[in-house]
Amino acid sequence: MRASRGWIITIIVFSVLSALLLIPTIAGDSLPGWWGKIFPDRGIRLGLDLRGGIFLLIGVDTEKAVDHELNGIKDFMTQELKGEKILIKGSEIKGDDLTLQFFTKEDLDKGAKIAEENFSDRADINESGLSLAFVLNGSYLDEIQVRAIDQVKQVIENRVQELGLVEPSIQKAGADRILIQVPGASEKDRQRIIDIIKRSAVLEFKIVRDTGVDQDVLLAKYGVKSPDELNAQGTMLVPGDTGVENEKFFIATADSPVTGGSLTDARLIFDEFGRPAVGFNFNGEGASKFGELTEQNTGQRLAIVLDGTIKSAPTIQERIAGQGRITGTFTPEEAKDLALVLRSGALPVPVTVEQERTVGPSLGRDSIESGMMSMAVGGVLVIIFMVFFYRLQGVVSDLALALNMLFILGFLSAFGITLTLPGIAGLVLTMGMAVDGNIIILERIKEELRAGKSPVAAIDAGYARSLWTVLDANITTLITALILFWFGTGPIKGFAATVSIGIISTVFSNVVVARVITNLIYQDRKAPALSI
Amino acid sequence: MDLIKPGTHIDFVGKMRKALILSAVLILISIGSLIYHKGPNWGVEFTGGSEIQIKLTKDVGPDQIKSTLDKAGYPPNEVQRIGLQSDNEYLIRFSADLVKFEQIQSFQKTLEGIMGSDPEFKDGSILRVDYIGPKVGAELIEKAIIAILLGCVGILIYVMLRFEFAFALGAVVALLHDIIITIGAVSIMDKEFTLTIIAALLTVIGYSVNDTIIIFDRIRENMKKGGRATFEEIVNDSVNQTLSRTILTSSTVFIVLLCLFFLGGTVIHDFAFALMVGVLVGTFSSVFVASAIVIYWRKKRGLTV
Repeated sequence: MRASRGWIITIIVFSVLSALLLIPTIAGDSLPGWWGKIFPDRGIRLGLDLRGGIFLLIGVDTEKAVDHELNGIKDFMTQELKGEKILIKGSEIKGDDLTLQFFTKEDLDKGAKIAEENFSDRADINESGLSLAFVLNGSYLDEIQVRAIDQVKQVIENRVQELGLVEPSIQKAGADRILIQVPGASEKDRQRIIDIIKRSAVLEFKIVRDTGVDQDVLLAKYGVKSPDELNAQGTMLVPGDTGVENEKFFIATADSPVTGGSLTDARLIFDEFGRPAVGFNFNGEGASKFGELTEQNTGQRLAIVLDGTIKSAPTIQERIAGQGRITGTFTPEEAKDLALVLRSGALPVPVTVEQERTVGPSLGRDSIESGMMSMAVGGVLVIIFMVFFYRLQGVVSDLALALNMLFILGFLSAFGITLTLPGIAGLVLTMGMAVDGNIIILERIKEELRAGKSPVAAIDAGYARSLWTVLDANITTLITALILFWFGTGPIKGFAATVSIGIISTVFSNVVVARVITNLIYQDRKAPALSI
Repeated sequence: MDLIKPGTHIDFVGKMRKALILSAVLILISIGSLIYHKGPNWGVEFTGGSEIQIKLTKDVGPDQIKSTLDKAGYPPNEVQRIGLQSDNEYLIRFSADLVKFEQIQSFQKTLEGIMGSDPEFKDGSILRVDYIGPKVGAELIEKAIIAILLGCVGILIYVMLRFEFAFALGAVVALLHDIIITIGAVSIMDKEFTLTIIAALLTVIGYSVNDTIIIFDRIRENMKKGGRATFEEIVNDSVNQTLSRTILTSSTVFIVLLCLFFLGGTVIHDFAFALMVGVLVGTFSSVFVASAIVIYWRKKRGLTV
């Protein structure tokens, strides 16, 4: 009975490799710079539940993106038909459909022709009576939604990046969610991060027509009862937050010729009174449009609308082109954050916070400390237990267990898996199964000895006969783990990942490592008795 | 060193009837507790809502925390002590239909204010804030249940391929038996049914199958040996032959769990509790339930050995 040279080399290679992979985890920041150039420098990352931080699940309103698309079609059609001197009677957007109503059959036919030319690739266009219906294709709908979530992700990435946080992670989660994880963020950062992420940052420039304190009084002045009716007059009602006492509501132009989309830069500045404000620059196209807008409306008031609220409404003194500023009631911090979100672009569709988890750093630290402590105590007890029951073979098992732990952690490191609490649960399960595997084999060897076999023959038979027991037991667990990995989300996936890796390594350590060590001890010896 | 004297012969099969009655009683109690508590006490991960974990320096008690928050204008649905009494840690919960995300933000400020001014709450800290929208929670429950059921199907198929249908049935029944009783124990202790508990249940599944398979494996081996023994006798021999392994493994695992339970801190505490129940029940069901099902099924089919 000799230990196979091939297996010995395999075990040594795995051990060295695992140790190398684990060094970044243990060394942390004190790792020298050259290390990363030769070896992987990313260790096992701890999940937010263990190190503290913010976990945000953001729901993206992709339906709104469809709305935008349909509105775009409507605007395009209105413009095109205007060119043909045709007026649309009415329009309706319902779910994924847009319906345009016409006055005459001829108008409808011309409309249908324009529609076919421009939108037949993305929508089914149906005529019925005097109306024209656009039904968006399923595949195009998917495309719109994917585009919307990609844009939102990009914007959020820009914003989070500018905040200068350490190791933020932003991922798509399913078809309409984005998962943001910011490890180690403090309670103070939290509010700011959430505010910055959630902010739509839609900036529009309009012209003020009127202003007042009371919404109803203001509407009555224009002979309408509800804000919607202002549409027909080409204006709209916008709430104001300019810091001026008697300007709570504004009537402004419905269209906004210039928007935040044309900004190249935004930054914190201070106005002539030393108040914090946001200064911004336009790109070429934006500058010429803004110049036009200000030239045509000199003497009137410009409405600077941020997320549907007028932030300031200065009187236009002269044509302004390249730059502008938003003043208002900001603290320097607020102005800085506003500049940040303006720079990183507006969210194309609204988002909502669907889930938030903030783990204070102290809870994370406590969990790790007590978790490690309890596992260490448990581990030491198991080691003593094994030696107590199985003597030298117990020591062999302990050695195999230690190597098993090293392999598992090395693998976790290599795959860059984030270790969370359920992950630790998975580790506990695997270590339990590893001990069990050893016990199964050792008990079997004992049985073979009792049956009168020689020590060496008993070891052979013990390993051979318990091989399938160990395999069956581990494969069934591996099946469950793989299904969980496939189906589970977040924490369950983490559990499944550690268990899957753990089980493979455990089988190896039970069947090969322990066997090789045993063989090394008993090879060439006539072994009068086994220490078991 | 031997834990069980070689040649020990306990009549397990003869005790199966009594054991099954005990199992039935435990399952009835578990289901009864679930009905009495109107289902599991789902954590906010599943129901949606908010959960704030705080740590205080004084032993204030849940009732006083509740009344203080009532006065501050944020009546919580529940204030619960977690971990050991000396931890002074509490969970404050709000249900989703009452509290919106923005309100939780302002609640936190209020709570920080109270901790800054109220002498009873002084030096307290917010350890964790969880907000879960109702949509996410429902999805989580659904996925967890699908995953567990698929896991069962996977085991059923594997055991069927490696053994025969009776064994597969036995393994899955034993598995469900263990899950139900573990859930029952969590429900009886009125512990919160969180993701951590789900992780514990998954671990219980792992152990339960593992334990059962090892006895089955021995049964199969003894069946191949032939001889004149009846199937019941083979099962009984097999359980006896693997008994020392069963007890040794269960006790090593139990030792580790005891460490986790007492030293692991609040988060691991409930995990360890559920797992201790699961390991105990799992060991019991491997010896009695799984084998009993196999014997019963084979008898019904008229299979001898």
